[in-house]
Parts: sequence; C-alpha cells; structure tokens
Amino acid sequence: MTPPVVRNFRGAHALVCHADDGGRATLAATLQQLGLEVTLCDPADGAKPPITNFDVVFFDADDGIDGAAEPLDIPLIALIGVEAPSRLARVVKRRAAAYIIKPVRSSGIYTALVVAFSEHARRKAEADERAALSRRLAGRRPIVKAILHLMRRDGLDDDAAFQSLRTDAMRRRVPVEDVARELIEQADDDDQTAPETRNAKRM
Amino acid sequence: MAITVPVCLLFSRSGSYAAVSEHMRAGARLAIDEINTSGGPVAFEPTEADPGGEPRAYIDAARDILDNQKIKHVIGCYTSSSRKDVLPYFEKHDALLWYPSHYEGFETSANVIYTGAAPNQHVMPLARYVLARGWRRAYFIGSNYIWAWENNRILRDVLTSADSEIVGERYLPVGDTDLDAVIRQIVDLRPDFVFNTLIGESAYAFYRRFRDAMPEGLDQAQDMPVVSCSLAEPELASIGPDACDGHLSSSVYFSTVKTRENQRFKAIWRDRYPELGLPSADAEASYVAAHVLARAVEIAGEPGLAAVREAVAGLSIAAPQGPVTIDPDNHHAAMRTRIGRSTREGTFEILTESVSPVKPDPYLVWEEEFRQQRPTRSAPKLRIVR
Repeated sequence: MTPPVVRNFRGAHALVCHADDGGRATLAATLQQLGLEVTLCDPADGAKPPITNFDVVFFDADDGIDGAAEPLDIPLIALIGVEAPSRLARVVKRRAAAYIIKPVRSSGIYTALVVAFSEHARRKAEADERAALSRRLAGRRPIVKAILHLMRRDGLDDDAAFQSLRTDAMRRRVPVEDVARELIEQADDDDQTAPETRNAKRM
Repeated sequence: MAITVPVCLLFSRSGSYAAVSEHMRAGARLAIDEINTSGGPVAFEPTEADPGGEPRAYIDAARDILDNQKIKHVIGCYTSSSRKDVLPYFEKHDALLWYPSHYEGFETSANVIYTGAAPNQHVMPLARYVLARGWRRAYFIGSNYIWAWENNRILRDVLTSADSEIVGERYLPVGDTDLDAVIRQIVDLRPDFVFNTLIGESAYAFYRRFRDAMPEGLDQAQDMPVVSCSLAEPELASIGPDACDGHLSSSVYFSTVKTRENQRFKAIWRDRYPELGLPSADAEASYVAAHVLARAVEIAGEPGLAAVREAVAGLSIAAPQGPVTIDPDNHHAAMRTRIGRSTREGTFEILTESVSPVKPDPYLVWEEEFRQQRPTRSAPKLRIVR
C-alpha cells in the first residue's frame, strides 16, 4: 500500500539546525509561508531541542563530525553545501529523506518537504510490513509443530489442523502464531507431567 | 525632478502565444505612458524585448537586460516555463521580475512580484461555485502541460473529497484541434459540466465544435456548461459570436467590473488600442504591475531593489478591478475573486464576487479543502533556541 502524498504542511513543526545566515533566513521564511511552525537552532550554540517535538528536521550536512547518529523516526532533510564524500556519508548514514543544495533558494524547499514526508511515510509503511513479515517468519516453525501436533493428537489432516488453529486465533483475536506457540508449550507441559507416555513413545 | 526608472517589457509579441502577450504588453505600456505624461514623481525609461515564445531567447534576453543594460525592473513573462527559465538570472543580479499573469501557483521568490491570480483566487472559487450548484459529474479536458495538470489536480482533490465524480479526463497536445472523438465521448457521458484547461486554438475550436455537437433538445450552456480559469474577452472574440456565450470563467478581472478606475481604463484602452478589443485579465494585471512599481518607487524615493522591495510589501493601489494589495509575505496580490458568464457580445456578466479581497495563497496552505490530518495551530510562529 502506498501512503498518500503529503502536500499541505500547515501546523507541522520544523526544526532547522544551521548557523544563522542568509540561507537559514530564506528557509525559515519559506517554511512559514508554507504554514509550518519553525524552531531555529545553531549547532555552535550547543543547544539541542528534543527531536521528538518536531515533525521534520533540517540539518547542516557541512557542519560537524558526528558519525551515524541513531536513526530518527521523523523525516530528515539535509542542507548540503560541500559535496565532499565525508559530508555526503553523513547524509546517507542519517538516512536523510530529501536534501537541499546550498545556497538555499525559495524554490526547492517545498519539493524537499513533499519528498521527505512522502518518503518517510513510505519507509514507515515498509518497516511495519517488514516487522509483520518477520513475525510471521518467526512463527512458521511453531505453526508447523502445532499442525503436526494436532494431526497426531486429533487425527486431522494438515488443512483441517491449520483451520482449527486459525479459527481459534480469530475467535480470541490473537495472531495464529501465538495460538500455535501456546499449543506447543501446553503439549510440552503435558509431556513432562506424563514422562511414562513419552518414554513409551520413544521405545 | 522625477525619479528615473529603467524598465524592460519582456513579452513574446511574436510566436505561438503572441496574442495574449500583445495584450499584456499593451497593458503595461499604457500604464507606463500614463505615468510618464502625468508629470508625477516617477518617470519610466522603457525598453522592450521580444523572445518570440522561444525558451532559449528568454534566457538570452534576460542576460542582455540584466547583464548588459543593468536594468533592475522587468515586467513580463506569460508562461510559467519562461518565468522559471529567467528566474535564476534575476536572483543572480538581484533584479525584480514583475510577473503579470494568473498561474498555477506553488512558487514564491524574493525576486518576483506576482500581480496575477494565484490558484486560491481562480480554481478554488470555481470549485466552490460548481459544488454549490450541485454539479457532481465533471469532465476534464486540457492542453497537455503544467497549467492543465495542476488545475485538474486541485479540482480533482476538491471534487472527489466532496463525493463528486470525474467521469473523464483527456489531454491534447498544445494547438491540437483533432477534437471529434473526445467531443463525442463527452456528449455520450453527459457530465454536469466540463472543466476546460485547453489553451489557444484548441480552446477556440473546442468551444465552437462542442456546441455544434449538441444533440436535439440539449442546450449546451444550460445542460453541459464549460467552466474555466482562463477564458477572457480576447478568447471570446476568437471563438466568434455563435459559440462565445454561456461559458463560465473564474477571474479577478472582467472588462465589465464596475469601478470608476475601470471606466477610465477601458476608455484609454479603447482609444489607444482599437484593434485589440476589450482588455483581458492579464492585460489589466500588467497595467497594475507597472502602476504598483511606480508607486513603490515613489514611496521608496529611489528605484533600488532593497528600497522598492520594502515599499511594495503591503502596498495597495486602486486598480481597475478594485483594490489590489501586495502581500508582504509571498509577494502575490490580494484581489477580489469573481465568476463571470460570457455573453454573445463578447463580454462577461459577473455572477458572483467575493465580498472583499482574498489573500493570495500560492501553496494552498490555508484552504480548508486541503487541510490534512494534523491539528491546526495558530499562525506560523518562529522560535530561536539558544
């Protein structure tokens, strides 16, 4: 699923981390015209407002040597003056969703916002999808074990065993993987309380 | 002694969009001559350049005007592409382009003063008008370029969020008059209205042939009205008397606006340019641009960029269309919006107008229809953290 393209930034809050210069003034004025609330900070002052208060952060790619900062869960826009590999490496490591080449002009800012918000939303959607897939992947083994268990215990075929798991999951509104895990744990406990049976089976 | 202001008029009086450029150039020239003969505190020194509608020639002209002639004020450009092409040179030389045409918006520049309508002053009032009439089924036809794409995008967003339907959408190459198939399709689909963003010959041919194609018993203007944001008096003359009436247009100026300034403007226009017919919205915007420039120089006391830029912020003049005020933030103009219906005589009957001037909103930030999920806060604030 593709998230909708964000076009209106009214009420969004932007943090601009850049030395006080003409470019920063142009950026701030244009962002305000676009309806954003703007907070300015100069990295030289050392002040670092908490990132979580903002919807988008502009940072100066030219300034600073900090390496890979922890990935942030908001759109980042790099302000790039020097196209030197050491500078650009930071832009890439921080996963900037868009960039603006200096000198900052009024044109290009709206583009960077649209691309950054949309790119960020897509990354988020993809990360959610990835998390769901990993969860399912991790649940594959328990499900196979649970199906085998049900086939053995209740004499079902594999389709009926899976259907039984799914029905149970839907009724209880939990992922089918969780139902499978519970069932296996339950089965293991039963086995442990009845060691003779287990031994008997092994023989 | 008057303050001398060198100014260049940059209009393509030849080439594919010569007709509208001729109107714009005429409007600017009229204001310049008016100011120069008034014995007032400002005197223009006009030069002219004609890029002939060629993109390359716009860049050459900008270089010559700004580099060689060292002129700081240019009134001109009609198409957005020509404006975008010359803009970097205006930034480099810190000169001002006085851009006098309605356009699709999504731009602001410290080096441009925009005296034409922004999208919240043309397509948005039109969208609200058609929704208020209860017209729910739209057909979009346009020339294949940015003006049509962006206006259609805006109208589509507004209509679809109001449970309306776009029953068809077609783009034709600029200048194409191969319209039979698309007209047949429109007549078959029978939309409540047609949104037309065709320009030039394609538009004139469409208006004529669409009306001709009406089946027995259907009145095109009544049953399938054509609405647009660019239909002006010169186009009505080009369409001709048989098909020029009954179309809706959204504009900040029609020649039938009733103000004392417009009476005067129309009289001097008619005397000076009998061959050009009635003045169009873009002609008026060009006339306004030259007057705003003159007034800003007068207030600044000099034609220098910094002083003029400061003087123009919030500056208001009594234009033919009524009061026009330059917005200090985005350099566009606050103007009253109007919906007109064309008449057989080649003018417009004004159906509705905004009660007061509408603040320009080139990025459609403040239009309710485009508000997205985020909570509203008060006017944008600026904060500095130390």
